Amino acid sequence: MDVSDKDHVERCRDGHPEDFGLLVDRYQKPLFSFLASRVGNYPQAEEAAQESFVRAFLSLKKLRKPESFYSWLLGIAARVAKEQFRSEIHRRQGREAAETMMSSAAAERADYPLEEVIALLPENHRQVILLRYYEGLSCQEVATRLAQPLGTVTKTLSRAYALLRQELGARERAEKTVNRTEPS
Amino acid sequence: MNCAESRDYFIACAEGLLQEDQARQCRAHLETCASCRAEYEAISRLQQRLIARGQAAAGVRMVESVMSRIRQEQFKPERETIMSRLMKHGWGFGLSAAAGAAAIVSIILWTMPNAQAAAEAVMTQGAQAVARLTSIHLRGQLRTEPNDNFSGINPDADFCTIELWKQFAPDLKGLKWRVEKPGRVVVMDGKTTVMLIKPAKTGVKVEQPTASAFDTEWLHRIANLSNTISNEVKNARAKGWKVSMAEETGADGKAKSVVTILAKSGVPDNEWGKNWFYDSADTRRVYRFDAQSKLLESVRIYLERPVGEVQIFDLSQIDFNQAIDAAEWTLDVPADASWAGLPDKLAMLPDNEKYASMTAEQAARAFFEACASKDWNEAGKFMSPITEEMKEGFGGLEIVSVGESFANKTYGGRFVPYEIKLSREMIVRMANTNAAHRYVIMGLYDSKQNPQEELDWTNGPAILPDNDAYARLSPAEAMKAYSEAFVQLDWETMKKFAPDYDVENDRRQFAQLEKSGTDAKSQVPKFEVGEAFWSAPQSAWFVKCHVVMVKKWNLAIRNDNPARRWQVDGGI
Repeated sequence: MDVSDKDHVERCRDGHPEDFGLLVDRYQKPLFSFLASRVGNYPQAEEAAQESFVRAFLSLKKLRKPESFYSWLLGIAARVAKEQFRSEIHRRQGREAAETMMSSAAAERADYPLEEVIALLPENHRQVILLRYYEGLSCQEVATRLAQPLGTVTKTLSRAYALLRQELGARERAEKTVNRTEPS
Repeated sequence: MNCAESRDYFIACAEGLLQEDQARQCRAHLETCASCRAEYEAISRLQQRLIARGQAAAGVRMVESVMSRIRQEQFKPERETIMSRLMKHGWGFGLSAAAGAAAIVSIILWTMPNAQAAAEAVMTQGAQAVARLTSIHLRGQLRTEPNDNFSGINPDADFCTIELWKQFAPDLKGLKWRVEKPGRVVVMDGKTTVMLIKPAKTGVKVEQPTASAFDTEWLHRIANLSNTISNEVKNARAKGWKVSMAEETGADGKAKSVVTILAKSGVPDNEWGKNWFYDSADTRRVYRFDAQSKLLESVRIYLERPVGEVQIFDLSQIDFNQAIDAAEWTLDVPADASWAGLPDKLAMLPDNEKYASMTAEQAARAFFEACASKDWNEAGKFMSPITEEMKEGFGGLEIVSVGESFANKTYGGRFVPYEIKLSREMIVRMANTNAAHRYVIMGLYDSKQNPQEELDWTNGPAILPDNDAYARLSPAEAMKAYSEAFVQLDWETMKKFAPDYDVENDRRQFAQLEKSGTDAKSQVPKFEVGEAFWSAPQSAWFVKCHVVMVKKWNLAIRNDNPARRWQVDGGI
């Protein structure tokens, strides 16, 4: 396991702001994917991701649980995306524009909980998922990077999949219940 | 292979990690078992989703851009708070603008660290890459008081832009340079060297070309990049400083070599002046080179203090060999500027011997007595020029004590401990045109009602649980309640009369001062709240206040000039 999120956050708070770059490096891709699904446009997603990181840095002292940095970051990013969405509607000044934007964002919306669910994984499971899929490393490369046997990596991956499926399933079921009870 | 065995292998199978015979057995089981097949397909679908998400973000690289934005955010100047404005003369840090042109201290060499082979190689290549510079332009951010000496650093100050333009030449005749920060600028046009201290409108002129002057030496040393980099390597080796190196990818996608050096000034922690200038500071210096061109791209310097590390310098723009506009070699000194004499050109006074025979303590006391009686002609014999800011801040002061002088190895003069009482008049604008209908502080004014600072109530004053009690207070009573809370550093009560950001910043600054060893509590200003008056044009009440504060510090004073007179050099 590399240096934990908690350690990085604490170093930043102790006067080593450059350590924040390591957190950006760790989460830039999942954060971008999360936002791309929400705003439906890559340049805006990148802008929103940068803004989210900057806001996170500036309010780092307010983060109560440093080990939950990533899920806290996603919360900030969700607010940034919402603000960006509102200001874009305002800028375009039209209901039609809002509808177009909402439908384009909805096109990928079905997938945006994925990063939220990844955020709920224990840190060692999350790291394996991020390195394997977001950094594009092979399982063998992940094993080398984390100085772990390949078998440990596949076991961690297996457990991470089980947790992800469990949580995604629970969310899908909850969504179906809500949809059924909503008036048509 | 049964169901349980097969499921153990699903991830390895989906990832293509199984041996051929294991994979065959797994596939065979899937063909015969619908339940396992459904399970495997669910895993594959999730895997495809994850792969797709990762691929969508494959080209994302934002570390550099985010960190650059963060640095910019950190450099944004903070608004002045009530306390920081009042404390300007109370907590002045070292050689301030008020010390003016006399503050031309000799600066000891900015020495450098020790290296390991890889870092040395990068540094040596970096030095070679810039061995034949014709011109250079540096633009960076330095934590310093805007009007203070060019080499003064203050880790608790905001970042200020500092720039240097330099046209190299084999000798002094062809050399030209300019150094500028918000409150000061020096231009050496090949013939003379002129400095303008902007707020005080004070000029200082040296009638000859110079390679560096007025405390700009450290910046010239960086500008002479080739030597600087070579010296870093030599000094690092000679002094055993810790050196490390890292490789990283820049925002431009190119490889960068980053050399970090931990430099020790050799000045003991308890020495006066430690960490006030580059040469007396312990620093961590981070040099970033482009791995291919070998050119230096940025320099970051962090001050290492027992209470923690703080970044004090960020040099992010280095332009090599670009044409410099001739306008940079000119300096318009306002016609009404006063010209200060250099310490080595001090005029002999008719009664020079009286001053030349004084001890440092006697000179310090005579200087303060002249300020107390507002005898600016007499005060001018100890300090030149005496600015309007100086007169307003120190006129009428009361001497509490003048102690025994001492010296240290970083400074050519002596330090005289002193304690004085300063007082000033100020006016506070109060208004209750807010949802809570309470009188709160809206702005600060000087004694002539010139605005000094407007307080920004972004969210407006909150309605308090006991709001009525506060809504009944008159403007003067509200100011009195605030001033009492101020003296007791009762931050929560202060927030009822001043914006949260203001009080929070004061609290932070106060904590920093205490942390740096300053007995800030004993120096908190005390208010005497006077009469209130109504201004119809501004629809606001104004409350007159008399502010008294104690200042305890060391006066830097030196007599190494031909007239042998003690001159105040700083500590004001």
